[in-house]
Formats: sequence, C-alpha cells, structure tokens
Amino acid sequence: MRRIERLINLIAALLDTRRPLTAEEIRTSISGYDSPTQEAFRRSFERDKKDLREMGIPIETVKLGAFEDEGDGYIIPKEKYYMPELDLEPDELAALRLVADAAMVAGDEAQAGVQKLSIFASSETAPRPRVAVKANMVQEPLLGAAFSAVQARTPVTFTYTSGRGETSTRKIEPYSLTHSRGHWYLVGNDVNKNEVRSFRLERIVSPLEPSAGRYEVPKDFDALARTSIEPWEVGGEEIETATLRFDAAMRWWAEQNLADLPSKDGPEGSLEVEISFSNVEALLSFIIGFGGAVEIVSPAHARASLLAHLEPYLGDE
Amino acid sequence: MTAESGGRLGRRLGRILLVLPYAIRHPGVSVGELARKFDMDEQDLLQDLNLVFMCGLPGYGPGDLIDVDLQGDRVYVRMADYFGSPLRLTPAEGLALYAGGRALAELPEMAEAGSLKSALEKLARALGVRAEGGDLAVELEGAEHLDILRKALEEGRRVNIEYYSASRLEVTERTLDPWSLIGARGHWYVIGFDHLREEERIFRADRIKSAELGDPAAPPPADFDPDAYRDAFRPSADQKLLKLEISPEARWFEEYYPTASAEPTQDGWRRIELHSSGDIWAAGVLVGLGSDARNVEPASAVAAARRLAATLAERHR
Repeated sequence: MRRIERLINLIAALLDTRRPLTAEEIRTSISGYDSPTQEAFRRSFERDKKDLREMGIPIETVKLGAFEDEGDGYIIPKEKYYMPELDLEPDELAALRLVADAAMVAGDEAQAGVQKLSIFASSETAPRPRVAVKANMVQEPLLGAAFSAVQARTPVTFTYTSGRGETSTRKIEPYSLTHSRGHWYLVGNDVNKNEVRSFRLERIVSPLEPSAGRYEVPKDFDALARTSIEPWEVGGEEIETATLRFDAAMRWWAEQNLADLPSKDGPEGSLEVEISFSNVEALLSFIIGFGGAVEIVSPAHARASLLAHLEPYLGDE
Repeated sequence: MTAESGGRLGRRLGRILLVLPYAIRHPGVSVGELARKFDMDEQDLLQDLNLVFMCGLPGYGPGDLIDVDLQGDRVYVRMADYFGSPLRLTPAEGLALYAGGRALAELPEMAEAGSLKSALEKLARALGVRAEGGDLAVELEGAEHLDILRKALEEGRRVNIEYYSASRLEVTERTLDPWSLIGARGHWYVIGFDHLREEERIFRADRIKSAELGDPAAPPPADFDPDAYRDAFRPSADQKLLKLEISPEARWFEEYYPTASAEPTQDGWRRIELHSSGDIWAAGVLVGLGSDARNVEPASAVAAARRLAATLAERHR
C-alpha cells in the first residue's frame, strides 16, 4: 500500500471515531500500518502525524487515563477540522477570487484558501477576467505564527534585533498584526517594559515561542490609528516636529501626498509643512530624495545632522 | 515543512481533501468540471479517484470503503460523509486572503468594492479577527490619481500624465498605455508602455502630478508578466550596478533597498551591489548614508553625490 492511501485512511479513522484511538488500535486496525515491528510502526506513525499537522490537520493527543502507562489516544476533533460555512454569495466569492489572483508573493496561499471556500459554492463559476491589479503583501516566514498568536491571544517570546543591530529577548502580548509601507509589524504589549511596541517581523530572528498566561487587549487600543507607520516615525526615542519647505516646483507633491498635515505658504511660492518624526536618519533620507528641492527649516539639530551627512562629499576631491 | 509533506505527496493529498467534499456535495458533477475547478489534469483527477476508492474506515469491507462511482463522465462519491467539508483555512491562507483583500479594498472606485467588503466581514468572522481590523491592519499609501489609473485600465484607455522622475529630478509629460497597477513596498505603481521613451516602464503613483484619460490603448503584450515587478522594479540586463560598502550602523539599508548581492567584509562592514536607476538616484542613496558608505563605484555616482551635497549644503548652512 502506498503512503498516501495510509494517510487518507488515518485521517478518515481519526475524523470518524467518537473516542480517541490508542496507538495499538491504530496499528492493528488502520490499513497501511501492519508493520512487522513496534519500532517500525512508531517511526511511520510519528512521521505521518508530523506531516499531517504541518498541513494544518489537527491531530490531537489526548491523555487516556490518570496513569502514565495508560498511554495516549489520538483523534481529529470535527469542529477543528471542518471549515464552518461562510455563506458567501457568488459575488463575494468572485471578489475573493480577484484577491487571490491579485496576490503576488502570497499567491499560492490565497489560491488554496479560495479553493477551500469555493467548495460550498453552488456550481461552476464563469471564467475569470485577466487581473490587471496586483498587490504584493510581503510574505514573511513568521506571518502564519504571528497571526495565530494574535488570534489565540497567546503571549509569545522571541529574539529581536533592532535596526541598530542590538539583540534582545522580548515577551509580548500580541494585539495586532499590521502591514505598513511594505513591512509587517507585530504590535503588542512588551511585558517587561509594560509599553505597547511595534516589532518588525523580518527582525525577529527566532521562532515565536508561546508562553503561558492570558491577557485582554485594552479597549482603547486602536490598531487602525497605528496603520500608517512612516519610516521616520519609528526607531527613535522622542517625537519632535520638523518644518519642511517644498519649493514652488515641488509643492504639488506635498499638496497631493501630505494633505492632512498642517501647512502654510512660504517664501517664493514654496509650501511649509509640519511633520512629526522620531528617527532623524529616515527623515533625512526622505528629504535627500528630493535632490535639493526640499529644505529643513527647523529644528536646528536636524539641519546640522543633514550637514554632517554631506561632509564626506564636500570639499576638495 | 518536510520535503515530502510540502512536496508532491502533500499537494496531492491537499487536492484530494478538496475534491472529495466538492464531489460529495455535488453528486453527478462531471469530470471536466471537477478538473477545471481544481485546476488539474483530467488524467490526474481520475488517478486520484481510483486511489480514494481503495481507502476508507477500519474493517475495509464493502460497507467501509469510500464508494466512488463513475457513470459516463459523472462522478458520485458516497460512504465518506466524514470528508463532506473541507479543512479549515490555515492561518497563512486566511491571512493571505484577508490582508490582500484589505489592500485591494483601499483602491478607489473598485467595481467589486461592496462584494469585497461583505466577503471580508464574513472571512473575518470565520478567522476570529475582530471586525473593523482591530487585530489586523493593512495600509497601502493612497495616491491622488489612482482613480484615473484604474479607470484607464478598466476601459483600455491611454493616460496622459505629468510625472516627476526621481532619477532625473524633473517633471515630464508622458503618454502611457497602462498594463497593470501594482501595490508593493507600501506604494502603488503603474506599469505600461511609455510613448516618450518608447519602452515598458514603471511609474510610482504618488509622483504623478496630473493625469487624464486619453485615446484607446494597445493591450499589453502576451508575455507581459506583472509578477516580475513584485519588488516594485524589474532589473534589466543593461542596468548598471551601484557598488558600495556600508557600515554596521546601517543595517536598515538592506531592508529598504532590494540588493543584487551582499556579503560581509573582514572588518564587519557589508559589501553591497544594487541595481542603479542612474547617477542622480545613486547620489541620493549615498548622501543618505553619509559616512556609513565607503568604496563606492562607479566614480560618476560619487561625482553626482558631490553635486547634490553642494546644493543641499548651500540651503542648510
């Protein structure tokens, strides 16, 4: 018998059973496990369990009795395996298909998800138009685990490397997962600092280890208020305000893209915009990108930092 | 995931666990419809059905095996009610769909906006995330002219734009046959045929100063692949490389710029190669790094950085 048949038989038996099956019952009753030795059975069964769990199949291990030698039982709880019906209307399913077609990096996951959802659809859907809109949600290896932690309200511990290269161990109560400016952030209460912090997923350099404990997300926590994370708003200690002068030739850019910030007319047709920042390096990169058409009016220390950046390129060759 | 479970066997098993629920819920579905729905070859599908036919519940007698009945090209699957619903979405699948959907929902005037919104609400409930994105927040910067760009794509029209090029520091008038709109690295981009340069080009939407609909556009070439732009740029064969070494303090750099290559030096710096958009672009990168960059090539990029530094210094002294 091929392994895939044995796996299907295992899933079928563990889904259909009303009580957990012992390893011995699995060995003697499920077709495909008739190994000559206990050790060979053990190896096959461990490998099957591991691979099926990695596919998302919830095989649970249940203690069968109070005594150590009574061993474990195994079952797939129906409510954890079966997808609840979402009652998607045909147009809603079509919209999610569009999402899956538009997803770039995470495209395979999105397509697999939409196929599961379409099992409940009444009949075959029309051929899909070519999708001209694409969205690249950056895919991070830890994304699934981070999302699970947010959903399950489980505190997690991990090793984090800051933008300055300092490594530390953090314990976080996750509140939300935020995608901003092409990066994913895990936002939550840093237990040791007792402060809400954002952690960039690509800087988490260990697995997310679930820790014991429960917590509630504070009622006044607003994930949406934290969605727009500009590079110059993270990484520093204090939040300050800078005034930037956009020359007459570039003021249209500020008018279109910074419309919700306070601004006033400056000299010679320029526009002066107030912008808050905590990371002066990132603010400087942003200004330098305009090639001299944007000036820092204040604060003086940001002007001085900019001059320090220019130093290697000033003076004699 | 192990090579085998993530590989051919895992994919095949995943497919079987989708085909079975659909066939059970739609008795008499045709082989052709099943194959199209799950994007597979009819031969592979028939092989899968033949395999399932050998599986079932312990006992494995006629009343225990899955009953697969092929009448002509009609498929009937019975005696397998435990496979009547698909497996729940994995966290990665749910997240890819939900986050991708939230990104698309940011586009102005989407024809599918209403369907998408209600689909995402249902999906959020099934995933256990709080409504209105408490747990999960997705932000892609909007841009002034996205509505015109979307309309142009939808109606197959050209757009006439004024575009600020960051690699030339000037605004030029261009006519564009738009092929695709892409959200990546936190910005929206439009890709298409640029009649000014007479080639395929990518434009960042927030740098479009003005946009209006024009004449009917030529359709994209058959081999146009939007996925090639997932990092918001597509390196071309004739593109020059910017080579430099960056200090340990500039770790953030590699997160912001897609690098062509990166390796450590003996003294703890990093030797990096980037696909350059020209000397003016490179000058901004270099001045932004200040004394965190050294050993830069080509020399013309350093010369451009000196010119940029002189301009900025004049304004900030």
